[in-house]
Amino acid sequence: MKSNKWLLLMALTLVLSMFLAACGGSKDEDKPAADGDDKDKDAATEEPEEKQHAKDEEGEPDAEQVLHLAESAAIPSVDSSIVEDAVGFNVLNNINEGLYRLNQENIAEPAMAAEEAEVSEDGLTYTFKLRDAMWADETPVTADDFVYAWQRAIDPATGSPYGPFMMSGVVENATAISEEKMEVSELGVKAIDEKTFEVKLERPVPYFLSLMSFGTFYPLKEEFVASKGDAFATNSDNLLSNGPFVLTKWDGTGDSWTYVKNENYWDAENVKLTEINVNVVKDSATAIKLYQDGKLDRAGVSGDLAMQYRDDEEAVIQPETSVFYFKFNQERDGKETPLANENIRKAIAKSFEKEDMVDVVLANGSLAANFLVPTNFAFDENEKDFRELSGNHLEYNVEEAQDHWKKGLEELGVESLDLEILGGDTELSKKMDEYFKSQLEGNLEGLSISLKEVPFSVRLDLDGNQDYDIQVSGWGPDFQDPISFLDLFVTDGTNNLMSYSNPEYDKLIEDSKGELALKPEERYEAFAKAEKILLDEDAAIAPIYQRGLIFLHKPHFKGLVDHPFGADYSFKWAYMSGK
Amino acid sequence: MVKYIGKRIVYMFITLILIATASFFLMQTLPGSPIASYNKLNDTQKAIVEKKYGIDKPKPVQYAIYMKNLAKGDLGTSFVFKGKSVNDLLAKRLKPSLILGAQAMVFGTIVGILLGMLAALKHNTFWDYGSTFLAILGISIPSFVFASLLQYWIASEWHLLPVGLWNDGWKSSVLPSLALAMGPLALSARFIRTEMIEVLNSDYIVLAKAKGANGFEIAFKHAFRNALIPLITVLGPLAAGLVTGSLVVEQIFAIPGIGEQFVSSIMTNDHATIMGTTLMFSAFLIVVIFIVDILYGVIDPRIRVSGGKG
Amino acid sequence: MRNENEQEKLTPEDFERVTIDAHHSERIEKPSLSFWQDAWLGLRKNKAAIVSMVVLLLVILMALIGPHLNGHAGDTQNLRHANLPPKIPGIEATGFFDGDGKLAGKKVDLYEMKKVDEYYWFGTDGLGRDLFTRLWEGTRVSLFIAFVAAAIDMVIGVAYGGISGYFGGRTDDIMQRIVEILIGIPTLIVVILMIMIMDPGITAIIVAITITGWIGMSRIVRAQTLKYKSQEFVLASRTLGAKDGKIITKHLLPNMLGIIIINTMFTIPNAIFFEAFLSFIGIGLQPPAASLGTLINDGYKVMENQPYVLLFPAIVISVLMIAFNLIGDGLRDALDPKMKD
Repeated sequence: MKSNKWLLLMALTLVLSMFLAACGGSKDEDKPAADGDDKDKDAATEEPEEKQHAKDEEGEPDAEQVLHLAESAAIPSVDSSIVEDAVGFNVLNNINEGLYRLNQENIAEPAMAAEEAEVSEDGLTYTFKLRDAMWADETPVTADDFVYAWQRAIDPATGSPYGPFMMSGVVENATAISEEKMEVSELGVKAIDEKTFEVKLERPVPYFLSLMSFGTFYPLKEEFVASKGDAFATNSDNLLSNGPFVLTKWDGTGDSWTYVKNENYWDAENVKLTEINVNVVKDSATAIKLYQDGKLDRAGVSGDLAMQYRDDEEAVIQPETSVFYFKFNQERDGKETPLANENIRKAIAKSFEKEDMVDVVLANGSLAANFLVPTNFAFDENEKDFRELSGNHLEYNVEEAQDHWKKGLEELGVESLDLEILGGDTELSKKMDEYFKSQLEGNLEGLSISLKEVPFSVRLDLDGNQDYDIQVSGWGPDFQDPISFLDLFVTDGTNNLMSYSNPEYDKLIEDSKGELALKPEERYEAFAKAEKILLDEDAAIAPIYQRGLIFLHKPHFKGLVDHPFGADYSFKWAYMSGK
Repeated sequence: MVKYIGKRIVYMFITLILIATASFFLMQTLPGSPIASYNKLNDTQKAIVEKKYGIDKPKPVQYAIYMKNLAKGDLGTSFVFKGKSVNDLLAKRLKPSLILGAQAMVFGTIVGILLGMLAALKHNTFWDYGSTFLAILGISIPSFVFASLLQYWIASEWHLLPVGLWNDGWKSSVLPSLALAMGPLALSARFIRTEMIEVLNSDYIVLAKAKGANGFEIAFKHAFRNALIPLITVLGPLAAGLVTGSLVVEQIFAIPGIGEQFVSSIMTNDHATIMGTTLMFSAFLIVVIFIVDILYGVIDPRIRVSGGKG
Repeated sequence: MRNENEQEKLTPEDFERVTIDAHHSERIEKPSLSFWQDAWLGLRKNKAAIVSMVVLLLVILMALIGPHLNGHAGDTQNLRHANLPPKIPGIEATGFFDGDGKLAGKKVDLYEMKKVDEYYWFGTDGLGRDLFTRLWEGTRVSLFIAFVAAAIDMVIGVAYGGISGYFGGRTDDIMQRIVEILIGIPTLIVVILMIMIMDPGITAIIVAITITGWIGMSRIVRAQTLKYKSQEFVLASRTLGAKDGKIITKHLLPNMLGIIIINTMFTIPNAIFFEAFLSFIGIGLQPPAASLGTLINDGYKVMENQPYVLLFPAIVISVLMIAFNLIGDGLRDALDPKMKD
């Protein structure tokens, strides 16, 4: 029976060696790179330097202009009235075009419109002259196409998530139409002639032109849509493009699709890529391996991998404009929660270290946020960032937090609290939640946190029913104005869902839409004041971070433009050079 | 026998109807609306959309409609992939999963059975320990760790096969199939070994040996056939499970399969797709179980398929 | 074989005349052994099984005392000590466990770089928690889940399969239809429902694993029952007037015990892996609780650059697995009446 013992030994050694092989092998490779260690050590201990975007470098385009990319999810829909997710808007932005398009500097510039819009004195009427542009079937894009698309989006029968959301209170009669109180034809849009499109607004909207690059406002050719019926936009054969690319090889549900250059695009001479192949790759580690194998020209790095790759030569940090924060629910099951107490909210908001979190836990170029409206997003008349105007709120401060905590507990007449944090179920959100738990429990005596991590759809449901205590929530803007964020927390706002209400705050937001609409300076001051009330005074929410993302980006892939709002990317100006 | 099979087929249909019913009502208890954009819609839109998908009607009516469509083979319309039928969705996603599952199953069981037989025939020798150890390793390493090891070494480091994606013909299917094959391989090796050792020690084998049957004949004609019974019990459901259970491996190799689709439909609350997938798996499983029961009778004539006390 | 005596020279004096005594012929020479004493006698001879049991006991012991050995708590986070490789005092000079790790593809002493004086024997995770402590805490949770789930599976599975197979007929039909319906619903759906209905955690996972887990056992037991109940010795026993209860306990169960135990030995690692699988698709244990599954999942994500995060839980899981299998084998050899030497 001696051999049995050896079997056990052999088993152990083999298992050991199998796993050791994984690290042993890779260590050898690194030996040549071990010189000049010192510089790298410094880079690692200190903040990583902001990487220069590879795409900024100039270079002659290659002969073959084919790009290979990965998406993290399949396309649910490319019907411009129905699209509601990041992938869909991204596809739409590259195969279709609205009156305006965000350019390489992320400024909305005329696209289907031939020139800047004419705006009436009262800011209520916008007139667009259309350019001589063509659909991919070589018929002209007309003002009627816009009228049809806008009416279709607001028609409640279409069930467009973004139509009423974007148009209500903006375009004339939109609200009433979306509630079936008016006919669709009464929407404030009109085709003056074949190439002139007029929009009447309900109130002056300072950011209206930045909406024009948003997918919901893209034109649709009625004849085409009607002829396809229910099949419209269900696969690449049933789509009509007027943008830089045409979608092909998309079967409607599949995990891969291809863009090819649209030769009928008005600016086709500036479109260099001839083909873009996209595959859905959900696992970040797999995407990175495909990238390293040369199968992809760009790959997202997520979760724990971010730390390993952020110092990679080909890593690019892409700042985003999504901001994440705690929502403090003040009323659950019809009863006030402990979070209805202002001191408790302030205590929690100030009790976790944000800098460490973005550096070590997220490690993906995210910024610690002491604000709601993100940095590098909204600018005033003088191109000054809104953040400089509004300053920092609710910074990390343990002493203050503990003072608030003591006061809060006294006011509530309790010695300890049990609260739940509702978060997402991704690897990163879980790690973050663990960090919050440890920070909050460590800094606030008598607090015990339980974590609840659920899929996104479930979280939306719990959010909708106000069935949570604290929720890690986030918001990405749809257009370029602080109101995109600040509008969320007005009393009974559709995204408030935590029973926060402050008349003063509501008034400021109302004013910004009404009497201050055409006074940019005062309007921004009102926003700054509102943000201060929301955060400093009420601590209705507690900002956590502004998201950044890390990508591995091949140096030969140049000219990609990423947008701070609306769709994520434009491939229009992208090209391959030096592959 | 014919009567028995007929009876079983009737039962299979009843089972399917019950599963459809159960899954329909289970869906109603899932939190969250099936309409993903629900909180962005206003009340008018909600009413219209609910009407369009028929979820405004009372539950029993919805159920009746669902069952009626089901009878026609229509699994409904996806809530997430706008306007696309679940039938289409499943059909497109099924192929890669079936290929992977079948390859893994065939490779895994054949190698597993051979290993198991080797171990049993050479009981308590190096061959026995070696193959037992391989089998233990097979079940000890989770398929996703094994999959990523394969991906790392064979694809990333040595560039022998693609890292992932489903666009390189048969090459794309090798690594994921291998990763999936470890389960059936280990399981069949162990079951065959255990059973065959038992059978080889039983009286009738001793008799067969005494009558001069040679080793090969004993191994295949007597021992193997008897050892197969418990194996089939486990392998049947395992085969069905391979198609569902491959989701993690599909995710690692970025393969557009059904398992991966299933998880994302659960995550996005796509009721029609969840029900459709559930039914499809169920049907598959029920058929497999049916075949297994019939096979019992073929392999071991002493089991009377009609059952009955006695 | 105890009666193998060496041949000696024998003389007539060595022989003693005995008379045939009816009482003696009925006497049992061997001491009366219970089933389990018998099993233990058999098992004791199997060295692999004994070694496995010792190893298993060691792992269980470590699961109990391991978290208290090095003074680090499993849930204390220290971001400044995040992602440190293993470093053990005493053997660091050998080149292993010396605190060298990879950063951006380069090998550096991360302890020196981050100015850390403490030793983390198995390194730290992304939140700076001690992996040694978490490993044993995780082992404890995993073993607990596995044992409870396996026990429940066994009890339900054996009872259900046995009743179904033995009584056959209508009972069997009805019970098998129920099983088919249960087995026909993909496990994932049941699991997700369980986790949505119940609060996520250990209980939810155990319920989720067992709710369909016993089916495999019941099918095997049923198949075995079908196989044995129509065999000759059962028929003989029945002909001699044995009752159902006696046939089941004296004839069927002992014959099936081997396969029941083997199956249970599969159930335990399966339960561990199912838990890991749940963690992988994001519906497993809720953090900050650790299990071998969540630890392996954490490690799997960083295995190229920080293999130690995966290495230790993977070794523990493999050791557990091998131990359970070898013990299973040993028990089988010992318990199966047909395989005694």
